Amino acid sequence: MSARRLSAVIDAIAAGRPPGPFRADADDAELLRTAIQLRAARPGESGPTTAFTVGLFQRLSEQLNGREARRPEPMPVRRRRTALVAVAAAAMLVAGTAAVTETVNHAATGRSAARAPQGSEVRTGTFQTSNGKVLGQIVAYRGRPSWVFMNVDVPNYSGPIKCMLQVDNGSTVAFGVFAVRNGIGQFSKTIGSVDVSDLRGAVLATPTGSAVAEATFAG
Amino acid sequence: MANGGGHNLHVVDDDVYGDWETVYRDNVDRLYRLMYARVGNRPDAEDLTSEVFSTALPPMRLSASKGEVRSYLLMTAKTVLASHWRRRIGQPVTTIDPGTDIGYLTEPSEREQPSDAPRMAGKILDGLPERYRRILELRFLEACSIKEAAHTMQISVSNAKVLQHRALRMAANLALELEQ
Repeated sequence: MSARRLSAVIDAIAAGRPPGPFRADADDAELLRTAIQLRAARPGESGPTTAFTVGLFQRLSEQLNGREARRPEPMPVRRRRTALVAVAAAAMLVAGTAAVTETVNHAATGRSAARAPQGSEVRTGTFQTSNGKVLGQIVAYRGRPSWVFMNVDVPNYSGPIKCMLQVDNGSTVAFGVFAVRNGIGQFSKTIGSVDVSDLRGAVLATPTGSAVAEATFAG
Repeated sequence: MANGGGHNLHVVDDDVYGDWETVYRDNVDRLYRLMYARVGNRPDAEDLTSEVFSTALPPMRLSASKGEVRSYLLMTAKTVLASHWRRRIGQPVTTIDPGTDIGYLTEPSEREQPSDAPRMAGKILDGLPERYRRILELRFLEACSIKEAAHTMQISVSNAKVLQHRALRMAANLALELEQ
């Protein structure tokens, strides 16, 4: 590999971009391996994002639940990961969790199906800061049981986050506290005290009461 | 795992997963961290982790023990990574060793738990002369562009490129020595 090409590949590795494709000799490979070792040691970047884990769960659900009828399709590479997909995938993940619980409790045979809630039973919102920066999503599902799922990405924050649900009549309900680590956090919980259709939105705050973000349900 | 024969109670063997969702939830974070340590970038780590699960889960025997499932995932990951480098570069830049890397899948998975990458990187950097160590720290650990690194070290961009190349070459030799 030419020195210029090798330099470009090293730049890509340092920037966290996929290198290549290109042909390398054994010496180049040693250099690249060391560059990767160093890049992989950068603090705070070794774990997966919530959007990735819930998105992959959804794609695997589609692949595995239909596998008796068709051959598994190869996973598409480099899928676009949008906030909307993350919300839909989050809904699927929580629905899947509920299905697993049902399987254990009732000794059902066969595989549990991850059922996505449909239509108006699902309400979604986007967490935004006071200056409009998007920090995450919230999904509320009206069913048996009803539940709320949220994921957030709060840069440079590790610690507890308090979630309050806002009801149409103007009241506020304490929904729970969840942990954010290295900026990433997610929380899901069943909801029984308030009808999902009566929810107006949600507010996230630190334990001292400082507002982090607010979401309004779109539908 | 035994089934309760249609009744509402059944015995669950703690040593098996029982369903693919549990296999996924217990291993996705661990497997991703292993892949990230081997490729050093998020898009490739995500694609390879996806490929491991989409390849391994359909034929998986869910009555197998957790240990067997993890070994199977690791063997699949080894093959997927080898294919990735063969296609991308034609050389096995990094590999997965089922003997030593099983720890990624068996040790407790915590979000804040680091992989072995920082420890290994620290050892490599500690063995380098100051200027070599600094250029690599700036570029790979502190997210500086080559221009920013050159500015910080008060050298020209072309000098920074040469310094980076020599530092990486020495670091690669050190890494080989450390592994032997």
